[in-house]
Amino acid sequence: MNAGLQIDIERLGTAAQTLVQDLHLHVPAGEILTLMGPSGCGKSSVLAATAGTLASVSEGLQPLQFDGRVQLNGRDLTTLPTHLRGVGLVFQDALLFAHMTVAENLLFAVPRTLPLAQRQARVQQALQEAELSGMGERDPSTLSGGQRARVALMRALLAEPQALLLDEPFSKLDAALRAQLRPWVFAHVRERRIPVVLVTHDEQDVADPQRVLHLRATEESPHHV
Amino acid sequence: MSFLPTFLLALIAALPMGWALWAAASQALDVSAWQALWADPQTLRAWGMTLWTGLASTVLVWWTVARLLAHGFIRQQLARWLTHVPALLATPHAAMAIGLVLWLSPSGWALRLVSPGLSGFDAPPPWLTTQDPWGLGLILALWLKEVPFLLWVAATQLQREDLRRRWQAEFALAQTLGHTPATAFAQVVWPQLAPRLRWPLLAVLAYGLTVVDMALIIGPATPPTLAVLAWQWLGDADAAMQAQGAAAAGWLTGTLLLAGVLTVMALRVVAAMRKFASRGSLPQSQTTDREGWLPQKTPTWVSYFCRRLPLQPNVMWTTILTTYAAVWFALTVGSVSGVWPFPQLWPSLWTGDAWAQVIASAPTVWTTLGLAAASASVCLVWSVAWLELTPRRWQQALRPWWLLPLVLPSVLWVVGLYSVALQWRLEGQWLGLLLAHAVMVLPYVLLALEPAYLAVDPRQSAVVASLGQSRWTDLLRIKWPLLKRAIASAWAVGFAVSVAQYLPTLYVGAGRFATVTTEAVTLASGAQRSLMSAYAALQMLLPVLAFALAAYLGRPRQFEKIGSMKDNT
Repeated sequence: MNAGLQIDIERLGTAAQTLVQDLHLHVPAGEILTLMGPSGCGKSSVLAATAGTLASVSEGLQPLQFDGRVQLNGRDLTTLPTHLRGVGLVFQDALLFAHMTVAENLLFAVPRTLPLAQRQARVQQALQEAELSGMGERDPSTLSGGQRARVALMRALLAEPQALLLDEPFSKLDAALRAQLRPWVFAHVRERRIPVVLVTHDEQDVADPQRVLHLRATEESPHHV
Repeated sequence: MSFLPTFLLALIAALPMGWALWAAASQALDVSAWQALWADPQTLRAWGMTLWTGLASTVLVWWTVARLLAHGFIRQQLARWLTHVPALLATPHAAMAIGLVLWLSPSGWALRLVSPGLSGFDAPPPWLTTQDPWGLGLILALWLKEVPFLLWVAATQLQREDLRRRWQAEFALAQTLGHTPATAFAQVVWPQLAPRLRWPLLAVLAYGLTVVDMALIIGPATPPTLAVLAWQWLGDADAAMQAQGAAAAGWLTGTLLLAGVLTVMALRVVAAMRKFASRGSLPQSQTTDREGWLPQKTPTWVSYFCRRLPLQPNVMWTTILTTYAAVWFALTVGSVSGVWPFPQLWPSLWTGDAWAQVIASAPTVWTTLGLAAASASVCLVWSVAWLELTPRRWQQALRPWWLLPLVLPSVLWVVGLYSVALQWRLEGQWLGLLLAHAVMVLPYVLLALEPAYLAVDPRQSAVVASLGQSRWTDLLRIKWPLLKRAIASAWAVGFAVSVAQYLPTLYVGAGRFATVTTEAVTLASGAQRSLMSAYAALQMLLPVLAFALAAYLGRPRQFEKIGSMKDNT
């Protein structure tokens, strides 16, 4: 089982409290695993451990400790810094950089190994795919919630991640908008043939009913997916 | 991993501060100096004057700011008021005191306006209107300077996106439960805001009890406040007198610590009483006093009368702004005045001599600029590194330590910093002066930068890293550019604080360095009105220029204006 994302958690939590224990999951390329559970069950922390951003979750609180292993396509990520993991991250807030235009936000993500003209061509293509052609020069704060969410996903994909983590990406949108956005997001991420983990507390967000994992508040029994 | 930078940064800042405090403490604990201090007939009266001016000004400032905040929050006027605050903050204490003297002294503008017509005076009356023996001038000057400071600190809390949203929601909710806006603010918002103002309030108290430059200019002279007395003794050629000055600085510190503890306890008692009073009380009807500052059972005629007193927040704020404008105007006119006999409203001779003299003393201006820019920059670099590299727990644990220069008397600091400079062979040198300024500037820069820096969503950096970008790319292209406004204004605050330093410049610089502030304060005791005004005006102008530069550098990006065509997908 080399291809895909393999997350093995022996223990994840603070010194005082265990959030997740004995969680083992595998996501093959092109599949979307949905991780469900009530708030506080540690589902976002699983994503943070996978992306290597536990420090940003634990800021100001008790530091989170992760005991386990993360592998992506046979590569061990556990000790790598976030920017070398090739793991993309999308939150419920689009977190577009306020001092950059929409296009600049996208350009920031395109690998700088490419010549500028090619990078800009990718940005234009991404704008088109996000149905935002001609809006590249806009101030991101002038976009609607749905537009921002699409830019955030496009930005994550432009960085050419080898795996993608979606942390409640629809929870700030209203029901109608979610219904529109879900198929668009799922179609775009499946197209990339990469493993994707989606965290949500809404049954309707489930991408693939075959691949759903429910986390309970404090886990006792081991999981294998 | 984060231990080494934390340790090094803490060491860099704590070493000079700790060393200075230790040196000051060891000097202030000389037994014979304490005996001399208590034998001196001036000590007790000076101490009484210190307590009166410091406590009275602090109580007035707290009361004023509480009322301004209530009114500003309820009527949503805070943002409008705050547009003026940077200009008020940029006015140095000494310049404010000198400007007030130009108005209030027996030969000042206030009397000229009514002389000889209404007052009948042909010559300045022998009144003690500025260095009045009751310290009223000093209290007024402190009130004028500290109200904008405390208001500004409160506003940085109220402008934090998370707090603002939550408090406004709670404020609205309280009103839906039947409370008037005034009680909703007093019982929901204020109890959450007030504890956050505790440190700044202690800084106001410390400043009021220990200020020297302002007290030299506008404070009482016989006796002066204890801080001024300590300063005079420290400047004495006799070593025994210097030791007595150090002991007085120690006594002042003890007074301050006690007053600080009592203030915190008083705030707690008031908060507890408020809680007790509100328990079980029914929501008040909308007909009661809208601002909620008069007791419930005030007779109608009393509240009618009180409402007509100039105590309404709008009136108070306008009074403060008008006074600042009057001070700036007086300094400007004063700096170009030549011959100006008493009852005349305007000078009979205008001259640029004073400014020519200021320009001729270019080294003074360059010393001021260099020291201010260097100390602000050093403190900014340290503060950014501290906030970026150290764990939040350590930041909170060591925070009180970094704020010590704000709350301990500057006379105590100069005693300690001078010893440090002596031991490190930096006395009378530019580097020693820079060190002294940096210690005094640090808490202001840290306080100015901290709220914005900590308000940055940590997920932002997580997103940047997940896009495959390194930490330096995050800092240089995303985080710092987004924080540039806060960074630039923190630098300007540091610059302004450095420009206004009087004691460290004179004492640690061993009198070899003159800045516009030392010149202005020295001239304030003389008769060269125009030169004094020119230096005071310059002392004010330099920080204003720094704030203007910061506003320019920190301006938000202008995006192309595009019609408001928004689709809702």
